[in-house]
Amino acid sequence: MAEDNLTLEQVRKMAADIGWSLSNEHLEQLLRATRAARARRAALPVASLDPADEPAHVFRLSSAMEALSDARSLTPSPSPERRGEMDGGK
Amino acid sequence: MTDLAWLTVAEAAELLRGRKLSPVEYARALIARIERHDGRLNAFLRFTPEIALEDARRAETEITRGQWRGPLHGVPYGLKDIIDYSGLPTTAHSKILADNIAAIDAHVAAKLKAAGGVFMGKLATHEFAIGGPSFDLPWPPARNPWNRDHFCGGSSSGAGAATAAGFLPVAIGTDTGGSVRNPASMCGVAGMKPTYGVVSRRGVIALSYSLDHIGPLTRTAHDNALLLDLMAGHDPLDPGSAPHAAGGYAAGLDRGVKGLKVGVIRHFYQSDMKADPEMAAGIEAAVAKLADLGAEVREIRTAPLGEYLACNRTILTSEAFAMHEKWMRERPQDYGALARERIMAGAFVRAADYVNATRLRRKMADAFHALFSEMDVAVTASSMDPACRIDDPQAVEYTYGRQARAPFNVTGSPALSVPAGFSKAGLPLAIQIVGKPFNEAMVYRVANAYEQATEWSKRHPALA
Repeated sequence: MAEDNLTLEQVRKMAADIGWSLSNEHLEQLLRATRAARARRAALPVASLDPADEPAHVFRLSSAMEALSDARSLTPSPSPERRGEMDGGK
Repeated sequence: MTDLAWLTVAEAAELLRGRKLSPVEYARALIARIERHDGRLNAFLRFTPEIALEDARRAETEITRGQWRGPLHGVPYGLKDIIDYSGLPTTAHSKILADNIAAIDAHVAAKLKAAGGVFMGKLATHEFAIGGPSFDLPWPPARNPWNRDHFCGGSSSGAGAATAAGFLPVAIGTDTGGSVRNPASMCGVAGMKPTYGVVSRRGVIALSYSLDHIGPLTRTAHDNALLLDLMAGHDPLDPGSAPHAAGGYAAGLDRGVKGLKVGVIRHFYQSDMKADPEMAAGIEAAVAKLADLGAEVREIRTAPLGEYLACNRTILTSEAFAMHEKWMRERPQDYGALARERIMAGAFVRAADYVNATRLRRKMADAFHALFSEMDVAVTASSMDPACRIDDPQAVEYTYGRQARAPFNVTGSPALSVPAGFSKAGLPLAIQIVGKPFNEAMVYRVANAYEQATEWSKRHPALA
């Protein structure tokens, strides 16, 4: 597997590319950690996913926002005449 | 009277409410025990006897006036040191946060204060709930009360050690890939990871936003249910909080298991990973005991353990690194080696891999929850091995990932580790009982039946 061949120099460059400066000892740790992460990626059965499979947590409005939205929808819109009055018309 | 160190919460509550035990006397007994023994176990990172005595005096006054608040009133407890308690540092057992004073209580700490608990202090953790046991941090790692040369599990290490050692009848931990249930398994106590969202995460230092759970460690299933009742509840300020975290977890505790359907996930510990023979035998004996008690036991299959673990770790490390990146860039030397390397694993996870892990999570969770149409609980291993030596880094690393707890962080299911015997070396064995989301009451019911039919929870370590 290509990921197993990840080298210290490659990891040093990956870190440098995101502006991350590490000692050699810490780079060795980053190398081991990145190899472990890639091994986990290989263990994920992503081939079983269909396009319709959504993430476990998708963006959701909070209940407070939902309540606010409900309150707005329950407030009747001003009639055109009323809007005219509010705009200072006759 | 029973030795106060081994009172359960339920027993203590009865004595305290009936004014047969003074909260101050109780607190003083446990303070003396902690002072005598914790120098060898390191369960406490910050011991606060002055706060405990103040809380105990207040409880005594209130109970004397007939203002009993409930089962925790006058009962000592501790918090893992990633949970905020106002006015005290929340260090996460790390140099990085050594001076991080909490301004307000975590939601769960506020609930336990309101319940009249007696706060004994902040408990040791693995650094940031991920790196440990470590000897390169400002505080030493907690040790196993059954044998202090052995690991006590983690990351809620102090919570497990303190509960097993008779320092506290209850301690609060957190669980992202098994961190309540691991110390419960290693120390021979009950540790619950409730359904995701049942206990608010507000005021708790995150490890992984979508996988973090807060849960109690106690010496009995009954106590655990009582504590979860106090901790659970919707918190509109925690975006992951479940709107229907209802409580009532101790209801039906004594109804037994006759006729209940128990699914055994053997492939986790027999083929996906091969558990230590003593651990495997302990699990099988527990399954046989449930069958003897009248449960209908059958084997079930779910996704392979390796897939769950890969999913858990991909999400966990990605979310953890996002939170830690600033410190990792500015002061990587201030982490202990174990936490640094484990968090670094999230540095170069591709966005697509993270998203795919969360997509797999939903699929795995849906498939697992569907199994509950034909069973009441699942039973499997918690740890694959009894506690290894704490001074053997290779053994710690080898056993660290040999567990079947992380699947239920992925699925969000309630999962409880309970004692299931002892190895020949005298170290605890454990099983894990898993329920349908929001049905913690069923998990406790099965655990209580098993506990009542065995002697494991009545054994205590002899501290030197």
